[in-house]
Amino acid sequence: MNPVRVALAVARKDLRSEWRTREMVPALAQFIILALLIGNFGFQIDARNAASIAPGILWLALVFAGLVAFGRTFAAEREQASLEAMLMTPASPVAIFAGKALAATLLLVVCEVVLLPALTLFFGTPLSAEVVAAVLLATVGMAALGVLFAAIVARVRARELLLPLLTLPLWIPFIIAGGQAVQSAMGLPGNYQEAIGLLLDFDILFLVLTSLAARFVLDE
Amino acid sequence: MSLLVGNGLTHWFGHELALDGVDLVLDTGEHMAVLGDNGAGKTTLLRILATALRPTAGQLQIAGLDAFREKRRLRHHLGYVAHAPGLYPALSAVENLEFFGDLQEVSRTRVEEVLEVVGLTPVAHRRADRLSRGMQQRLAIGRAILHEPRLLVLDEPDASLGEAAADLLTRVMEGKTVILATHDHALANRLCPRTLELRHGRSLGTATRLRVVR
Repeated sequence: MNPVRVALAVARKDLRSEWRTREMVPALAQFIILALLIGNFGFQIDARNAASIAPGILWLALVFAGLVAFGRTFAAEREQASLEAMLMTPASPVAIFAGKALAATLLLVVCEVVLLPALTLFFGTPLSAEVVAAVLLATVGMAALGVLFAAIVARVRARELLLPLLTLPLWIPFIIAGGQAVQSAMGLPGNYQEAIGLLLDFDILFLVLTSLAARFVLDE
Repeated sequence: MSLLVGNGLTHWFGHELALDGVDLVLDTGEHMAVLGDNGAGKTTLLRILATALRPTAGQLQIAGLDAFREKRRLRHHLGYVAHAPGLYPALSAVENLEFFGDLQEVSRTRVEEVLEVVGLTPVAHRRADRLSRGMQQRLAIGRAILHEPRLLVLDEPDASLGEAAADLLTRVMEGKTVILATHDHALANRLCPRTLELRHGRSLGTATRLRVVR
């Protein structure tokens, strides 16, 4: 069984389901706009403080949108009893996990396509390639962790409560490094290269760890 | 030759004993029905035989392999229809089968064949959530036979199929080793020469249907 083919089939299936039902992306995009609006009206934004407030709002919106997006990846499969059917095939659980993580990452990237220009619109901060790169790098690692914990908590009733409790502490490194990268890309003091290097290190570390753990989480 | 051998299969859900030391032997090509009231342990037994649930105690060998140590290898040879159809509601019937076909390296031609076998060719492009419950059950049966398994484990496959159940299941079960759970004794007798009766998780023994030959 070719694991790349399996992962791509799982991701394609998830994206096709989302395209047909449009359950998640429109709701998340709406949530992101509302979060930015609240941030915009909640703080006294002017040209001097926009660059220091906008990254915080960006990561808050991204973290909560991510929790919703990743939480649904396995919950929907459990509800429709399709997860067991998928795991009953000879396909590798790691490949199935990779496919789910890939689809969840792409869905969050679609939300970021709304988030980043909206951030510029509401806060007047620059939308640069550096900001996009930092957000995308953080998304990869956050998705790997978020989808793994979503698979773990999908079995329990209080999954909506447990997912943030388990995931948020492990997302903190991404928020710190990503926050530094975005702040320096927006002109505040900080070492952009160092922050991006850290994000890359975290991505590699958590991609390896979650791939190793996925086999045990999905196999039983 | 025995394809499936289960010894002392026992399962506890917390403090509740769901299956109590069931022994079972199924020869290659044999069809066996599992009968029993609600809560007798039929689904638990079938989930164990399908390697979807690890028993609390007991051993299970399928095709000479330890069913739980080698379960990923065995799944090439095993088809399972669970209690719930477990389909993707937003995907069409053919897309559902193609997806599971991709996970098992099954060709698109085989997908078309299976749709024909389960009688879903006319509704192949209809979304699964717009199929009737009976059609969804046919699709779940189609998914179980997609990779041409040697052993079929069917948990109430006749649910929602109505009068078409016997004919469809006869077609699907042909040439395969099958264990199926059902409440329908007449169907069980028609499809399976052997039956296993469960009560409160215990086996009351197996019976063999006698065929009168003139």
